[in-house]
Amino acid sequence: MNITIKKGHDIQIAGVPSGEISKHSNLSSIALLPTEFRGVKPKLLVKEGDRVQIGVPLFFDKTNPEVKWASPGGGVINEIQFGPRRVLEKIGIDIDGQEESKSATKYSESDLDLLRRENVMETILSSHLMHLIRQRPFNKVADPKEKPRDIFISAINSAPLTVDLELVLKGSLKQFQAGITVLSKVTEGNVYLGVRPNSVLQEINNAVSVTIKGPHPSGNVGIQTHHIAPLNPGDVIWTVSAQDVVTLGKLFLTGRYDPSKVVTIGGPGVKNPMHVRTRTGVSMRSLLHEQLIDDPIRIISGDVLTGKEAHQTGYLGFYDSTVSVLPDTITREFINMLKPGNKKTRYSLSSAFMKIGNALFNFNTSQNGSHRAMVPISAWEKVLPMDIYPNALFRAILSNDIEEMEQLGIWECDDEDFALCSFACPSKIDVGSVIRMGLDLMEIDGQ
Amino acid sequence: MNWLLKLLLKVRPNFEEGGRFRYFWAIYEATETILFSTDERTKSGPHIRDHLDIKRVMILVVVALLPCYVFGMFNVGYQAALANGESRLWWENAFTGFKIILPIIIITFISGAFWEILFAVVRKHEISEGFLVTCALIPLIMPPTIPLWQVSVATTFGIVIGKEIFGGVGMNIFNPALVARAFIFFAYPGDISGDKVWILGPDGYSGATALAVPAATQNEQAIPLLNSVTQFDFSWINMFLGWIPGSVGETSKLMIIIGAIFLIITGIASWRVMVGAVIGLISTSFLTNILALYSTNSMLTIPPHYHLVMGSFAFGITFMATEPVTGAHTDTGRWIYGICIGVLTVIIRAINPAYPEGVMLAILLMNAFASLIDYFVVRSNIRNRMKRYAK
Repeated sequence: MNITIKKGHDIQIAGVPSGEISKHSNLSSIALLPTEFRGVKPKLLVKEGDRVQIGVPLFFDKTNPEVKWASPGGGVINEIQFGPRRVLEKIGIDIDGQEESKSATKYSESDLDLLRRENVMETILSSHLMHLIRQRPFNKVADPKEKPRDIFISAINSAPLTVDLELVLKGSLKQFQAGITVLSKVTEGNVYLGVRPNSVLQEINNAVSVTIKGPHPSGNVGIQTHHIAPLNPGDVIWTVSAQDVVTLGKLFLTGRYDPSKVVTIGGPGVKNPMHVRTRTGVSMRSLLHEQLIDDPIRIISGDVLTGKEAHQTGYLGFYDSTVSVLPDTITREFINMLKPGNKKTRYSLSSAFMKIGNALFNFNTSQNGSHRAMVPISAWEKVLPMDIYPNALFRAILSNDIEEMEQLGIWECDDEDFALCSFACPSKIDVGSVIRMGLDLMEIDGQ
Repeated sequence: MNWLLKLLLKVRPNFEEGGRFRYFWAIYEATETILFSTDERTKSGPHIRDHLDIKRVMILVVVALLPCYVFGMFNVGYQAALANGESRLWWENAFTGFKIILPIIIITFISGAFWEILFAVVRKHEISEGFLVTCALIPLIMPPTIPLWQVSVATTFGIVIGKEIFGGVGMNIFNPALVARAFIFFAYPGDISGDKVWILGPDGYSGATALAVPAATQNEQAIPLLNSVTQFDFSWINMFLGWIPGSVGETSKLMIIIGAIFLIITGIASWRVMVGAVIGLISTSFLTNILALYSTNSMLTIPPHYHLVMGSFAFGITFMATEPVTGAHTDTGRWIYGICIGVLTVIIRAINPAYPEGVMLAILLMNAFASLIDYFVVRSNIRNRMKRYAK
């Protein structure tokens, strides 16, 4: 299957990571942040000072007790942090010199083909790695009791400054194939794998590979699902990020949880943008050591469009594989609105500034304008490659009209697919957060 | 310009909540953000944002209007000289035009800013840049002889009734500049109307517009009628270039095309509306040309390429119909909206005997229908999705 996506935009932001993967050496502390997992009510299984191995459960979900979270590091629990109303916010781990890890059954490559859904689910649950799999709609940790209609995996990262998956997966094709094979046992439908044209991943078996061309957000799994087999009310699909497919593959082939992943450090606030092999939940301080420029900066766990602010004392999010750093100083320019500008001084995906050349742009955290009422000059539609009217959906959500939201296709939406709309909006409206509001409403009332 | 920013920030506390001039916060805020780019940072959502904001959108429309202003200045002076039977140098014409247009602009902006600021202060919202566009459009669609008090009344009506009572920019149903024009069109037909033009010349000097010429005579061909006019040169090329009497800024189709190209390249105006309107106008005028064989109405004989350059059609579809808020919001809807404007323009021009010019009424009428068009476009999207859901 071939899909060409025309709408969208690749933001030309400076600080693109170089194409080599270096290794993160001074890994000392990591953390798991339970608040990242949407809809989960965590109950602790460890306490401060406990010694844990990689793969030992740290907490479980009270609403779904068989889903537990494996420790991504071996060492001592040094901090358990609660937020307001005793919400579990952080479990910090000091890594030991020699990390031990818990082992489970391992399979040979040929055995994998003989596995059945029960075996696969049992291995994943007993290794406490269910949270690698997320479900749509709502983009939350998958429910192991649910049988997904299909499984979608995107081997494309189209968001700015993200990991070049081709580069990463090239080295672990065997594990990736194992992960795909295992996942194909879990669903009665297909495993769809979104790849770029001429990718080595087209050779992967047990999956339907779909070639996808086009600018961001073509790499988003939501956009790919929309074009391959859109969600109807009541449908549930599962998605796994490409690097987590490798983690799953390794789990079945070696019997061990390998929490390492390749992460990019990029953006105009970074001295040497690069790919780094490090650990999920790594602390920003150790990852960004000697990497930051001297000016005030904002550190973001995730890409610049959908990431969360993470401060220097923060940690990499579980699902994130990008750290973006933006300068946080804003110069106030005189009679800005009258000045001409090109791509070098003002960046716009419409040609409102008469762009010249293709230079990479030094973005900062400025909103570049004040919040205003909607002036529909099609800025959202130009970057949303879906058969959905964002304007109408936005209004339906604001008026809490569940029926209308469903008719307009909210089941197919996720806030990350609308991030580019917020980027482009001249009224500086945050479309994505409104979409999330709508999804939350659907989750409570819509079923 | 750092000293100015420092000065502004120094007086800022006086305008903030609890300060002496807190009621004038909107004025302070507007001054600060017009002079200097905002220092607001992204909080939620994408951490980086496009540099295009509403201020820039609005100012680009004003920039697109500048060629019309420059040409209008020359033409007003030129027409005055022609009417007086004098031959003047180009800069003398420009100066005459300048003297006429400047007061109109000043009055428009003073009245517009007054109401915008009053509403911003009373309703505690920020002053919207939208009024800049409205106020830049109004002088261009007024005849040069318009009494200044009427300009003020029209601007007031346009801003208050056309926009503010709905909640301001982004919530209005009708294009405020067109509402302003429609208001004096119906309230003071003696000073502005579609069939006569008022020119700066000897007292009470006026003439019939190009559109009024075939409207006045029955059973004739439109082009020979236009060519027989001696008072003005109504040849196609002259109407295209704009050396004809009319409102200040709408005569030169060449300047309007320059503005239109600018708006399309910068992505501010929808080319779908403009192209749709031209398609609607051309196809309907072909139809009226055929109907002309069975009728005595000379208006029916106007060929499509004349319709394009006559009256304010070009100006209307470029700067009025493309107004994003009051037009259709969906791309499919924009095609329908544009085509309907073109069709209605010809129908009002050719078939309605009361008004020789129809583009203003066509756009206002379609403004009213824009939401309905969008409704059906969105419904058809919903219908397709429902079919899939049902499977």
